[in-house]
Amino acid sequence: MFDATDFMEINMGPQHPSTHGVLRLKLKLSGETVMACRPVIGYLHRGVEKICENKTFFQTQVWTDRMDYCSAVANNLGWAESVEKLFGITVPRRAQYIRTMLAEYNRLASHLIWLATHALDIGAMTVFLYAFREREQILDLFESFCGARLTTTAFRIGGLREDFPPGFEKQARAFLDRFPSCIEEYEILLTENRIWKKRTIGVAKLNAEDAIALGVTGPVLRAAGVPFDIRKAFPYAAYAEMDFEVPTRLEADTYARYQVRLEEMKQSARIIRQCLDGLPEGPTMAKLPKILRSEVNEIYHATESPKGELGYYLVGEKGSLNPYRFHVRAPGFANLQALPHMVEGGLVADIIAAIGTLDVVLGEIDR
Amino acid sequence: MTPESEPIQSGPEAPEAPAGAYIYDLKAAPNRQVELPKTVPLPGLQAYLADQKAALEADEAKWQKQLADYEAKLQALPEGKEAPKPPVRAAAKKDDYDMKTPVPSAPQDADLLRLVELLGERMEEAFEQAGELTCQVAKEHLLEALRICREDKQLKYEMLADEAATHYPAAEGFAFSVVYHLTSLSRHKRLRLRILIPEGFEPESACAVYRNADWLEREIFDMDGIRFAHHPDMVRILCPDDWEAHPLRKEYPVVGWGQRDIDFREDRSGRLARIAQEKAGNLGINLKVPKAE
Repeated sequence: MFDATDFMEINMGPQHPSTHGVLRLKLKLSGETVMACRPVIGYLHRGVEKICENKTFFQTQVWTDRMDYCSAVANNLGWAESVEKLFGITVPRRAQYIRTMLAEYNRLASHLIWLATHALDIGAMTVFLYAFREREQILDLFESFCGARLTTTAFRIGGLREDFPPGFEKQARAFLDRFPSCIEEYEILLTENRIWKKRTIGVAKLNAEDAIALGVTGPVLRAAGVPFDIRKAFPYAAYAEMDFEVPTRLEADTYARYQVRLEEMKQSARIIRQCLDGLPEGPTMAKLPKILRSEVNEIYHATESPKGELGYYLVGEKGSLNPYRFHVRAPGFANLQALPHMVEGGLVADIIAAIGTLDVVLGEIDR
Repeated sequence: MTPESEPIQSGPEAPEAPAGAYIYDLKAAPNRQVELPKTVPLPGLQAYLADQKAALEADEAKWQKQLADYEAKLQALPEGKEAPKPPVRAAAKKDDYDMKTPVPSAPQDADLLRLVELLGERMEEAFEQAGELTCQVAKEHLLEALRICREDKQLKYEMLADEAATHYPAAEGFAFSVVYHLTSLSRHKRLRLRILIPEGFEPESACAVYRNADWLEREIFDMDGIRFAHHPDMVRILCPDDWEAHPLRKEYPVVGWGQRDIDFREDRSGRLARIAQEKAGNLGINLKVPKAE
């Protein structure tokens, strides 16, 4: 059908600003149509799994911050819960609530940075500034809670190091009161925007069957009509006690994913409010020995990070301070595998939209 | 119109990977010695029960010895002297920690029982631990087991969530375990399939059943050097194509050339290092000091 001279092979990245880090795509083009796409990853590989196998359980947390640096708290939560499952630790209820709340704030921050960069890639500059304005306030909250804005190291095995600082709750509530109007602002800028709709509707489609076969999770799967959310399916932390909905869309395109993520932000705000209202009294740290020595055990614990299913696979060795095996199932790694399927047959300009809508962070993909 | 597309191959700049796995040559780099693990922490019901039995027997033997010693002391006691106190059997240590280590138990979940029934002889071990279902299947029958999990009406595990390999250099009869974490989206269940493979064995690729096994198996090949048979594209994914070994094998060192010593230049007397050692000793942590080149 095509002559060999019709094709052009080009590299996109690894230093392309729209690839959100160091993602390299080998493209085979025919005119403007993408014939084949092969992602090349690993430019940010630091060997987190190997390093963590040689650190004690307590020391591994700082490495989870640095995997998905846009949602460090979600990574911390998954790590803390996995280690607790490995040891069979029960966490006090107050700590569970605070963890849930911070994880949801983190979902907001992560979705905001997604919205900002995704819109910027497609050409809507203004949303970037608006979204970063709100994200800044969330990072301030993190800073007041744990002293760091991005690499939070927010939790400890068995609970939290500290309770709220004074004034935290007031600040958190003030943000929640203002946040719905902020979402309205984004919607005014984008939802009915003709350029935005032309660039996103029908672009980078991924139907439910392919999404499941390719292991895609998170908002991308839910935008294909599959109501799978680990917070509902396998409740962890305090999510079993929370009242929230799992938004889904049937269109399975970039616009549907935008709608799902916006709706998720509203639901996150709902969860945070419930956490603040129903915050139980009590200790924030379980009673634990000073040194944790594991038994022979293996666990796989998955949590719903903003990007999808974040799973930790840990193997414990009897009497050891270190995990024998530390493996991370990064949501971005699984989602990026679907990229060739989404872009092949489309236009080369739509690759930018596809990368943005997958919300890739190369830190967790390469680990 | 969707054009027929061929996947791009790695290209001429990617060197051909050697046929076998790279094994790290420790003798070539004496300053990069690693301590290989001596135990095989492979969770399992049979191993756990055997361990428990051995521990009970050891405890009983210790108690019998204590009793015998006491008897001997009584026999050897000169007349008129007060008899020593009889020994007290040590009770199990009790603590009030919020921690209860999960132990393996026999399969009770309907899914696991169904799988055991369907697999029959091909199943090697099935147990539950920490609320997770594990089924170990014979390495030759992996694909059949995966197909059953995916296609059986009662099981319906639609998604392969994760695949990971663990290196057990101290084990006899096998060198790696490969685990497949399956998720049922419709029934909200999880299941772990496990195979044990010796060095050099090529398990069947799961790509035929779950398409996303492609990258997961490439990562396992990259990190542990396990090649999968009938995989569409068995090349490295995270490390560069010409990387010299497989990093997640246990014989791969973490201390490398250019690694900074703990005795840094300012610390000529070794005072800081000593303090660090003492602090670590108080915490019960064995802080290994790497030797200078």
